[in-house]
Amino acid sequence: MSIEVINEYGKIDITNNVISQVVGEAAIECYGIVGMASRHQIRDGLTEILRKENYSRGVIVRNVGEETHIDMYVIIGYGTKISEVAYQVQSKVKYTLEKSIGVSVKSVNIFVQGVRVTNL
Amino acid sequence: MKSIDGLKFAEMIKLGAHHLFLNADYVDSLNVFPVPDGDTGTNMNLSMTSGAKEVETNAVAHIGETAQALSKGLLMGARGNSGVILSQLFRGFGKAIENEPNVDGKKFSAALKYGVETAYKAVMKPVEGTILTVAKDASNAGVEAAATTDDFIEVMEAIVFEAKASLERTPDLLAVLKEVGVVDSGGQGLVYVYEGFLANLKGEGLPERTDDEAMGELISAEHQRSLQGFMNTEDIIYGYCTEFMVQFEESKLKDHPYDENNFRQELSQFGDSLLVISDDDVAKVHIHSEEPGDVLSFSQKHGSLIDIKIENMREQHINLVGKKHDVHNGQQQETVKHPYAIVTVAMGSGIAEILKSVGASAVIEGGQTMNPSTEDIVKAIQDVGAERVLILPNNKNIIMAAQQAAEVIGIEAVVVPTKTVPEGLAAILAFNPEANVQTNAEAMTEAASYVKTAQVTHAVRDTTIDGIDIKKNQFMGISEGKIVATHALVEDVTKVLLKTVIDDESEIVTILYGEGVTEEDANVLKLYIDENFDHVDTEVYNGKQPLYPYIISVE
Repeated sequence: MSIEVINEYGKIDITNNVISQVVGEAAIECYGIVGMASRHQIRDGLTEILRKENYSRGVIVRNVGEETHIDMYVIIGYGTKISEVAYQVQSKVKYTLEKSIGVSVKSVNIFVQGVRVTNL
Repeated sequence: MKSIDGLKFAEMIKLGAHHLFLNADYVDSLNVFPVPDGDTGTNMNLSMTSGAKEVETNAVAHIGETAQALSKGLLMGARGNSGVILSQLFRGFGKAIENEPNVDGKKFSAALKYGVETAYKAVMKPVEGTILTVAKDASNAGVEAAATTDDFIEVMEAIVFEAKASLERTPDLLAVLKEVGVVDSGGQGLVYVYEGFLANLKGEGLPERTDDEAMGELISAEHQRSLQGFMNTEDIIYGYCTEFMVQFEESKLKDHPYDENNFRQELSQFGDSLLVISDDDVAKVHIHSEEPGDVLSFSQKHGSLIDIKIENMREQHINLVGKKHDVHNGQQQETVKHPYAIVTVAMGSGIAEILKSVGASAVIEGGQTMNPSTEDIVKAIQDVGAERVLILPNNKNIIMAAQQAAEVIGIEAVVVPTKTVPEGLAAILAFNPEANVQTNAEAMTEAASYVKTAQVTHAVRDTTIDGIDIKKNQFMGISEGKIVATHALVEDVTKVLLKTVIDDESEIVTILYGEGVTEEDANVLKLYIDENFDHVDTEVYNGKQPLYPYIISVE
């Protein structure tokens, strides 16, 4: 499970775990994202917001043939325009992956797993 | 002026939105973070316009209600990162003054501050050097000013002043801005909104941007965009970045009257990334061209040239790309040099070999009667020379030492608290080199928990433990740390022990035989298991461990 980039010097192999780490970091920098969530919240029995080490549980990298798809599970702050925040995450993730890894993803699918209400 | 009401606030918003609208293109040009797609200005403008529209139709004298309208309009129209942040800033602001019919400087700045706090709550990892920072600094300055004066305009002046100052500092906080040489686009947008507020309060016109600053920012942003856009140096069509100013001369203007739009049109044939800004005396030009000489000669018809700067962009690009390559190489070497290591503890050369064969990097000699010290473990880890290490103590008396070692070692180290060798084996088999330390530790701990361990050893003195009398030199069977059988003969103890640990769910029994028994004895035991427990598979290994004739794992 990894992404291969082949160039004139040889092969670069990037594991999906690295991708999910990069994607997770990029996402939480986005305004409105209060955390990454687990894909299987009940099964994993994890507290709602994933810690850094567990981003791979909330970011699924799927390689379908030559194409790469990202599914990510996020928690968004209450009171923000959720559709817009999700859109920002998509564009930021796509940009970051292209810039830092040189991987062009076919799709970035956002699953909003929760809304965090801040005490207001 | 001491305070404002909802209608006045509506006017302020209108002008703030208008000011942002006028400068949206400029804000777009600054956009390099987080994604340099050049739409921050457009997005903020659309968000603010939506807010202003809602206010226009719903403005009342009660400022709390007007602010609610703004908050609602912004939320519905929020576009882009900075648009969403803007909506949060004013959502908090609106919430703070919800029940106020009018606000003075104190309440206004306190509400702005509350808005900033609201905005910060909606992000896990706030990035400083953005609109958030500008809003924060500005609101703090407002609160300070309101403490010393009750003139509303003075408070707003302080807010605008600090917002601008904070904006100027954004490149120091955010490396990408410094690299490109611009200020943060979202922050700039917010400054325009605040400037609009102030202009309305003072009843003055909107402040004009000085062309010189603007030009500098525009050039930097434009330049960066075009440089980043090229993957290969060979792809650069217009190789020279050319900047200069034309000082108009009366005599020349007579034959060639200057018109900014025409001039821009004419210059566009020479290249791209063209920027022209002019006033009555001088025109400032930036262009990427392959023939900078032609551009200069052409421009000379309007006047004399000053401040000429021409740079070879291909050279710059090679340096830029070269730098990137260096970074990549460095990173690769590092990962190769520091792989994962698993350091574990065991007694007996046979067990050590088995552990190594399944993936342990180092096996420290030690066990029940000879616990390795923290120092021994640290040394073993250092000898392996890894960046990240998992420590498997394989004995409950060594877990503490292992944990201390993990704390002092100075690299990422996690202890998987395995209490026996079979647990350690199961844990190592669950190791996944692609997962991170924490994930591995969890998976390995879980794997270890599925293993039951039975051990056979002999008593060194007469004693009574767990209600069982034990005579010196008798053998005792220990299951999961509890003594369950004692007998003078190894075989008899082992058979009783096996009956207690093997149940219907057991699938694999692994026998490690050591001091005091031979391979033949072990094979006899295997036959016994095969006959009496037909649902399990049995494997026999020579563990060569001292003190324990048998260590048996059941999973």
